Amino acid sequence: MTPGVLRLGRHAFGPTERLVMAIVNRTPDSFYDRGATWQEDAALQRVHEVVAAGAQIVDIGGVPAAPGSTVDVEEELRRTLPFVAAVRAAYPDVVISVDTWRHEVARELCAAGADLINDSWGGWDPQLATVAAQAGVALVCSHAGGLAPRTRPYRVTYDDVMADVLRHTLTLAERAVVAGVDPARIIIDPAHDFGKNTRHSLEVTRRLDEMVATGWPVLVSLSNKDFVGETLDAPLEERLVGTLAATSVAAWLGARIFRAHNVTQTRHTLDMVSAIRGDLQPVRSVRGLA
Amino acid sequence: MITHAVLCPSAPLLLPELAGADRDAAAVREATETALRWLVDARPDLVAVVGVADRTASWPAHARADITRYGLAAPSPAATAPPTVGLAALLLDRVGSQGRLALQTVRHDAVREQCLALAADLAALADRVGLVVVADGSARRTLKAPGYLDPRAEPYDAAVEAAVRAGQLDDLARLDPALAEELMAPGWAALQVLAGAFAGVRPQSTVRYAEAPFGVGYLVATLHR
Repeated sequence: MTPGVLRLGRHAFGPTERLVMAIVNRTPDSFYDRGATWQEDAALQRVHEVVAAGAQIVDIGGVPAAPGSTVDVEEELRRTLPFVAAVRAAYPDVVISVDTWRHEVARELCAAGADLINDSWGGWDPQLATVAAQAGVALVCSHAGGLAPRTRPYRVTYDDVMADVLRHTLTLAERAVVAGVDPARIIIDPAHDFGKNTRHSLEVTRRLDEMVATGWPVLVSLSNKDFVGETLDAPLEERLVGTLAATSVAAWLGARIFRAHNVTQTRHTLDMVSAIRGDLQPVRSVRGLA
Repeated sequence: MITHAVLCPSAPLLLPELAGADRDAAAVREATETALRWLVDARPDLVAVVGVADRTASWPAHARADITRYGLAAPSPAATAPPTVGLAALLLDRVGSQGRLALQTVRHDAVREQCLALAADLAALADRVGLVVVADGSARRTLKAPGYLDPRAEPYDAAVEAAVRAGQLDDLARLDPALAEELMAPGWAALQVLAGAFAGVRPQSTVRYAEAPFGVGYLVATLHR
């Protein structure tokens, strides 16, 4: 299937546009920022910064992926609902993604202005697609290896990890179409580290072209993750270079959305790949042309 | 008779699709386009473009520089002209020139008499000929210049500028072609054609740009009788 236009909010993005989805956590305990944007004014300041740095999408989440203290529907909404409304009011045009697996939460956040439901947990809540269809928003269909939300992989095995990723994400995508989600608003995501050990994540990166070949837009969430840390034996604060290397490879193989903490560096990486591919002209070019 | 003339460089970065958003390139481009627009607005019967190349020849009027050779993905022209005249022809298109056009190259090592004769030939093409002389200055103006710094480069370019500014085009005859070659200033022969275009008269002259932002001397001027 030939990649087509991806619709997010009021925008239409072509197959060669590489989008940065900036992570904005409304959590006190997410793994990378450790609560840096727990306060609403700090979170809004981060939105200002990432939009200025070239992010087309902000991804707002109220529940960390890792196990920890319980965040129920009420608490998740308390963290995210006013904030989504505030971002929508401040930025009528920016694409707002909400990182949630719960349809009750997603429904409220879409009513407050969200354009995209980023379900990292592989369709754990089957009603999520229905909410996306009813709200007319986009949906990420990911592969979490069948794990329940907020659980860690433990001795996970696959006959063929990419085959499993394809089977699961394509099934979710087809279900979303049946549920009434606009096919131009469906995205697939291998979900690095989710239900995968480091070698599994490296393999899905290496074989990302198989996902791209389905024609569905591919999102990758690589930023500072454990598969980078283990591959390089790098602690959390030293994973940026490895993240950007993986970003380059994923971009070269055709991924279209890049969920990231480090927006400026990711933007530069993607623009460099786009220029190498011939999809983007250099900002300036006078060397040898004087 | 050649009534109006423009002197301009032929840097590929004059084309915005090559240079992108570079401010220094934009400044020399704006000066060049303003000068060419001035020429077109004077409504000559024919615009003749002359610049150096590896041989003296006339080129089809629709021939243009092939900018794909600079690495840009773009359609190639139906007919290719050498970079000097081909680039000026592209710039003329962009300022809205639609009249008769003659593209002429002069061999880089042509002697002065040949250049003067060529000027006379171009002057005879129409009653009122507008001439575009494509002549780059030295590419050795600064440490970062394509040809590195040569201290003789700045005085050489300054001498060209002074002659043009004063309308004393006979002074261009005093430029040493061997020195010009050493200084990577390939426009010597084209400047002699300019001198021939106004032989025996002192044209009104306006220098519109004289800088070397990339270490290459760019001189943009308009001249008329």
